Amino acid sequence: MTQDKEKLIVELVNKGLDGDMDSVNNHEDKIVRAKAKAMIMKVKKGTVERPPMPEISNQVATDPISGNQDQAIKIEDPFEKVKKVITEKYSNDLDEGKEANCIYFKPDNWLEIAKWLRSEPSLLFDSLQCQMGMDMGEDILESRYNFHSMELDHYLEVRIRVSRSDPKIPSVEQVWRIADWFERETYDMLGIEYIGHRDLRRILLPDDWEGWPLRKDYQEQETYHGIVVPKIKEGWD
Amino acid sequence: MGLVHGEEMVLNIGPQHPATHGVLRLQVKTDGEVVSQITPYMGYLHRCFEKHCENVTYEQVIPYTDRCDYLSSMSMNFGYVVAMERLMEIKVNERVEHIRVVMAELQRIASHLLCTGVFGLDLGAFTPFLWALRDRERILDLFEMTCGARLLYNYMWIGGLSHDIPTGFVESTLKFLDSFEPNIDELENILAHNKILVERSADIGVMPKDIAISYGVTGPNLRASGVKWDLRKNDPYSIYDRFEFDIPVGEGIKGTVGDCWDRFYVRIIEMRESVKIIRQAISKMPKDGDVHQSLPKKIRPPKGSVYARTETPRGDLGYYIESDGSAIPYRLKMRSPAFTALSVMDEIASGWLLSDVLAILGSLDIVLGEIDR
Amino acid sequence: MGLLTNKFSEDNVIVAKLEKLLNWSRSTSPWFFQFGTACCAIEMMAAAAPRHDIKRIGFIPRSSPRQADVMIVAGTVTMKMAIRVKKLYEQMADPKYVVAMGSCATSGGPYWQHGYHVLKGVDIVIPVDVYVPGCPPRPESLIEGLLKLEEQILEDRPLTRKMA
Repeated sequence: MTQDKEKLIVELVNKGLDGDMDSVNNHEDKIVRAKAKAMIMKVKKGTVERPPMPEISNQVATDPISGNQDQAIKIEDPFEKVKKVITEKYSNDLDEGKEANCIYFKPDNWLEIAKWLRSEPSLLFDSLQCQMGMDMGEDILESRYNFHSMELDHYLEVRIRVSRSDPKIPSVEQVWRIADWFERETYDMLGIEYIGHRDLRRILLPDDWEGWPLRKDYQEQETYHGIVVPKIKEGWD
Repeated sequence: MGLVHGEEMVLNIGPQHPATHGVLRLQVKTDGEVVSQITPYMGYLHRCFEKHCENVTYEQVIPYTDRCDYLSSMSMNFGYVVAMERLMEIKVNERVEHIRVVMAELQRIASHLLCTGVFGLDLGAFTPFLWALRDRERILDLFEMTCGARLLYNYMWIGGLSHDIPTGFVESTLKFLDSFEPNIDELENILAHNKILVERSADIGVMPKDIAISYGVTGPNLRASGVKWDLRKNDPYSIYDRFEFDIPVGEGIKGTVGDCWDRFYVRIIEMRESVKIIRQAISKMPKDGDVHQSLPKKIRPPKGSVYARTETPRGDLGYYIESDGSAIPYRLKMRSPAFTALSVMDEIASGWLLSDVLAILGSLDIVLGEIDR
Repeated sequence: MGLLTNKFSEDNVIVAKLEKLLNWSRSTSPWFFQFGTACCAIEMMAAAAPRHDIKRIGFIPRSSPRQADVMIVAGTVTMKMAIRVKKLYEQMADPKYVVAMGSCATSGGPYWQHGYHVLKGVDIVIPVDVYVPGCPPRPESLIEGLLKLEEQILEDRPLTRKMA
C-alpha cells in the first residue's frame, strides 16, 4: 500500500463518516473502496478510532512529466500516470484489449519498448516480477508480464497476444536477465517461441517430450521410453 | 590461478546427491578445480501443479500449494489466501489475522532453522544440524497441536482458518520462545563465528546489487546484497504494518557485502525478528472471534485477474490467478522465489573452486519442489 | 538377540539352518540409501533426527548405492527421474530391498489424476518390498515399515534355488 493510497483511504473514511457515502461508493478502485468501507464499519462499531483527516498540503500532486503544480485535492492513481506516459510514446504499438488495468502491445516492436521501459527516468521498471503465458481459447495465446520499479514503487502489467498457429514474440532476456528462464518455461508449457533467445529449450519437461501441456487441447502421449503415461485404474473414478 | 590451463572436464553433480537439496542436476565445466561454467538442469520433480490447478476447485488448490515448498507450507497457503481474498474482496476478522501472522512467523523460524542447519551440514558441521532439528521439532509440535499435521497443513482457508488455536497453545508458544532465544545465540556462536565456516563462506559467491535485481532475486538473498527490501514493510499485506521489527541487511562484516556468509547471517538475525513479531502478535490477539466467520459458502470469484505477493522465508512468492467466473480457476501461476535464486547460480559461482559451489548452493536456500512445481 | 536367547543352556553349540543364520545377520542392521525427492524426504530426515532416531535400531544413512542394502524411495518419482531410479537400483549390490515411502511412491499420490509427468507408483520400474502409506507418513510409520522389512528379511530364502 503506497502512501498516496493510505491517505486516500483515510480521506474517504472521513468523508463517509461525515455523511458523504457517495464519494466512497463511486471511487473507481475496488480495493480502496473495500478498505474504506471496512474502516468505516470498524469506527462505527468502536473497535478503531477515527483517523484524522490528512493535511491538504500533502495532497498537492506534482506531475513529474509536465512539471505543473496541481492544486486540486484529487490524487492521481499511479498506474494512470504510467499508462499516460506509455500510451503517449508508443501509441502505434497498442493492441486492443478488454481489461483496463493493463496495457496491450503488439509483438513486433516489443524489444525496443522493453528497453525504453527500463531506462526511462519517470518509469524505471528494473524488476520483472512474473512472466507467464496463457491459453485464452479461440486461437489466441497471451504472454503476460508483471513489472515493478524498486525506486519509484509503481507497477505495470503488459499483455501481448499471438495466434496459436504462429506464436512468435521477441525475447526480452537482454533487458531483464530473469526473462531467460521465465521465457523458457512459457515455451515449455505453451509453445510460445521467443525470437532472439540465446538458448530456447525445454526447462522442466524432458527434451524429448511431445506436446505443450498447459494448452487447453493437450493430449498426453501414450508412452514415454516404454513407461505408460496415463495409468487408468478401474474403480478410481 | 589462470596461468596454467588444462583440458576442460565436464562433471555431473546429481540428480541424486546428498548436498543438492533435492533432485537437481548441476553440470559443471571445470578447468582443474576451478569452475568455468555451471548449468542447472531441473524438472526432475515437475509434478504438474499448474495443470492440476486448472482442474480442481479453488479450495482444493490449497493442499497442492502445501506440497510445492514443503519446508514452509504455511507461507504458501498464506500467499494463495491473500491473493484470493484480494480477488473476492473478503475481509477476515482480527483474530484470524493475528493467528495467521503467528503461524507464518513460526513457520519462518522453522524454515530458517533447517536452512542454517543444512548449510552447516554441507560444510561438514554435523552437530548444529542436530540442534537445529531439535528446535524445529518443537515448532512442529505446536503446529500438530493446532491442525494435526507435522509438515503439510492445509491450514489457511479462503476467508478463515481450518481450526482455531486450542487452549494451551499461547502458553506453549511463549514457553517455547523463552527457551528458544538463548538457542539462537548458541547456534550463532557455534556456527557463524567459527573459523572454518568463515573461511569457507566469506568473500565467496558475491552477488552485487544490480545483478540481484536483474535476476529477480528476492528475500534474504537480496537483503544480504545490501538492498533493504522486505514485502512485510515495503508492500504490507495482512496486518504486518502494525508490528515493529527491523529488516536485517548484509553489511559485509566478515568479507564483502553479498557473500555466502552474509546470506547465512541474515537468516539468523531474521529469526530473532520473527520472535519479536510473534510476541507482539500474541499480546495483541483478540480473545474472541470465530475463525469460520467469513468463510464464503460458494467460492465463485468475479471474472478478472489478480497478482499478489507475500514474503516467504525464501523470498517473494507471487500468485497470478485468472478466474472466469466459475468454481475452477482458469489459470494459476506461482512465481516462486527459489526459481529466481537458482537462476543466478551461473553468474555468481563461476570462477570459484568446486567445493565452493556447494557452499554457494547451500547459502541460496533452494527447495526443488518450488522450482519445479 | 531374541533368536539366540535360551539356546545356550548347557553346551555352547547351536544347530540351525544356514539360511536362518544368513537371514538373521542381514536383518538387524540394513543400511539404507537415502533417495529422497520431495516432502517425504524431510520426514525421512526427521526420522534420522534426534527425536525418532532410526540409527539406534541399526539403520544408517548412506549416500552411495554401493554401500546400501535398502533403498527408501521417499517422494514423487517423475518420468524424467524414473530412468535414473532404475539405474540406481541396478547399481545396488545384492541382496537389496526397496521401501516405497509415501503415497506418491506407492501409487502416484495426490497427482494421480492429472499428472502427466508423474510416475504412478515406483513399482512400475523397480520391485518393491514394503509400502508405507501417508502423505507424508509420520516418522513412526516409517519406523514401523522398516521393522516390517526386518521381519520380511527373516523369512527370506536366499539359498533356495530359484525357479528358472
